Amino acid sequence: MTMVVGYPPDGRRRAVLHLAGMLARSSGDDLVLCAVIPASWPPSPARVDAEYQDYLERAAHAALERAGERIGDDVEVTTLVHHARSVPAGLLEIVEHRDASVLVTGGFSSTVNRLLHSSHVPVAVAPHGFRAPAGARVERVTAAFGSDDDQLVVAAAGVAARVGATLRLASFAVRPRAPYTVAVGREADDSAVVEWVDEIRAAQQAALGRVSELPAVPSECEAVVGRGEDWEDALEDVDWGPGDVLVVGSSPVGPVARVFLGSRSEKIVQHSPVPVVLVPRGVAEELADEAASAA
Amino acid sequence: MTSVGESTASPSLWQQIWRRKPVAVMTDETGTDTEGGELKRTISLFQLSLFGIGATIGTGIFIVLTSAVPEAGPAVVWAFVMAGVVAGLTAICYAELASAVPVSGSSYSYAYATLGEGIAMVVAACLLLEYGVSAAAVAVGWSQYLNELLDNLFGFTIPENLSNAPEADGIINLPAIVLVVLCTLLLIRGASESAKVNAAMVLIKIGVLVLFIVVGVTGWNSDNLSDFAPFGVSGITSAAGIIFFSYIGLDAVSTAGEEVHNPRRNLPLAIIIALVTVTTLYILVAIVAVAAQPFEAFEDQEAGLSAILESVTGSSWPASVLAAGAVISIFSVTLVVIYGQTRILFAMGRDGMVPPIFHKLNPRTLTPVPATIIVAVIVSLLAGLLPINFLAEMTSIGTLTAFLIVSIGVMVLRYTQPDLPRGFRVPFGPVIPILSIAGCFWIIFDLRAVTIYVFLGWSAVALLWYFFYGRHHATLGKQASS
Repeated sequence: MTMVVGYPPDGRRRAVLHLAGMLARSSGDDLVLCAVIPASWPPSPARVDAEYQDYLERAAHAALERAGERIGDDVEVTTLVHHARSVPAGLLEIVEHRDASVLVTGGFSSTVNRLLHSSHVPVAVAPHGFRAPAGARVERVTAAFGSDDDQLVVAAAGVAARVGATLRLASFAVRPRAPYTVAVGREADDSAVVEWVDEIRAAQQAALGRVSELPAVPSECEAVVGRGEDWEDALEDVDWGPGDVLVVGSSPVGPVARVFLGSRSEKIVQHSPVPVVLVPRGVAEELADEAASAA
Repeated sequence: MTSVGESTASPSLWQQIWRRKPVAVMTDETGTDTEGGELKRTISLFQLSLFGIGATIGTGIFIVLTSAVPEAGPAVVWAFVMAGVVAGLTAICYAELASAVPVSGSSYSYAYATLGEGIAMVVAACLLLEYGVSAAAVAVGWSQYLNELLDNLFGFTIPENLSNAPEADGIINLPAIVLVVLCTLLLIRGASESAKVNAAMVLIKIGVLVLFIVVGVTGWNSDNLSDFAPFGVSGITSAAGIIFFSYIGLDAVSTAGEEVHNPRRNLPLAIIIALVTVTTLYILVAIVAVAAQPFEAFEDQEAGLSAILESVTGSSWPASVLAAGAVISIFSVTLVVIYGQTRILFAMGRDGMVPPIFHKLNPRTLTPVPATIIVAVIVSLLAGLLPINFLAEMTSIGTLTAFLIVSIGVMVLRYTQPDLPRGFRVPFGPVIPILSIAGCFWIIFDLRAVTIYVFLGWSAVALLWYFFYGRHHATLGKQASS
């Protein structure tokens, strides 16, 4: 399969290359390094902006070439410069055209945000400054586990087993500090959290039980709960190491929700110390089926 | 390629003026695996004609009648024919020059590759008028139609002082400036119009003009045509000078030579088809307009086409529809023209002909932000402070001169570089270039003296700029000497 890597032609996002290299090395996929540059405009054969376009194209090709060299020889890399009206639109066009399995991108920006909500393939996001040493592989797949993420867990287990990584389920209890003290007080709140944590622990064990029945099981499976006042705290409450990847389920939302609601996945992407892979519901289903039927 | 300063000593001024940008530099290593778009495709005659019509039907027709009719009277109809014929002749000549350079670009790029650096600089100076000044002109027109629309819909107008240039009894044209600023913000963000929006804009423009013709013809009064050519032939030619403005865009057809199927036949044919269609539409608009009211009434009439519809029908809704169409489509034209201007300056910045700030890109949006801001400031000042007829005439003289140079260049190249491969050759030997040159001169000489003087002054500034800056900083010169 192919992974499409969105690499800005300014050459400033090394983190993306490190993540793409690590993922491709683990899964054996090949990489298509892509730079999206503005489409020629106005749409006409008379291109008054020809030299500008020409310059953009050359600069992008040069940046991609340098980027490709950085990734290393153990991954098959091709490069592609694509014209599109916007970066997210361009990347999604390439994903479709190349029939790619994963889209790799980096940083938290409006581009990434739009991709999270409109991509039909998993989107891997490298955090700012992410670095993976040469030859690094995915060591552990952490699946963010809520109440209805069973399919995601099975999918993550399948992928972890395939790439030779361990599996971890992580649930996050995010509880903002009460803004005022009332009669019931903070203790009542805390007890609610404790109860929730107990429930989720049980659910985690049940999910791990289902994983153990799969045809291919990851070498090691564990579960953790991270607690904190906000997502940043909760994510930091769990220990992370090199080679960690956090997998989060996402459901595509309509344009209105996109504007008015921040989503859980957005917050995780924003604060995660390790690379995040967002898996759309449809893909999670497919991967889960695959994992369940694999011999 | 010849004449690229082979001497080891620094080249003389003469060598600098005539050095040409080698074509290879412009085409090498353009994306071998580039996807999506500029692959060689075959454009049919029909498509090319349609494209020519879309590119030419501009905003000029919305704003030129006010300035042109008082010059020529009802004979303004002939001025449209005359401007159209000259535009067609120049477009055919331009096609030969463009076909000699196997990449697309502006006429500046073509001139640099074929006619030399000095002439490219003059063409660039003309292009600044064709783009920068025309952006200002259409912005002023937009302000008029916006006021008309606001008046009709809400009974509210922006005060005279704040919507007119000083010469037109105002202080500053604020709506025009606001339009330019809006367009600039969009361009800095990296906005662009899709092909669909572009097509919609063309349809709006045509629809609005057809509406004007159909509704306006009900106000036909032959008395208004009785004194058909009150100012004789010279009135017609000076009107043609203003009207030429509304044919800008026809030259876009010329640059499509590389992609056209059978260019020898289809290129001139497409130019003629587009020209005849557009001219017919313009003439219908003009004749309906001059039959609807006495030609003296055009003087200083704001949002002319709207105002005529209103007086013809006695009701405000057709005028409002027209004004709304004008407001929408002029916005889109301003966006395109400012975009074009910044990209031409980008190319010049890469060549070292203007300071490097013009080819500085914002790394995230990849738009030339400093250039866009500089262009916006200058265009806003022009739009805010100068009257529309002056801006329209400056645009016309700039465009006419650029194509005058191109027509001369085509003839000169036939002698100096007879073996240069050309995808398209102007038929009938030197006849068309000579007619084109004569036509351009004829129209230019009948423009107002002030326009000609300002233009000569502007050309002198451009040449001085080249003398003191361009020739020393040209990337071409640096490559040759290193």
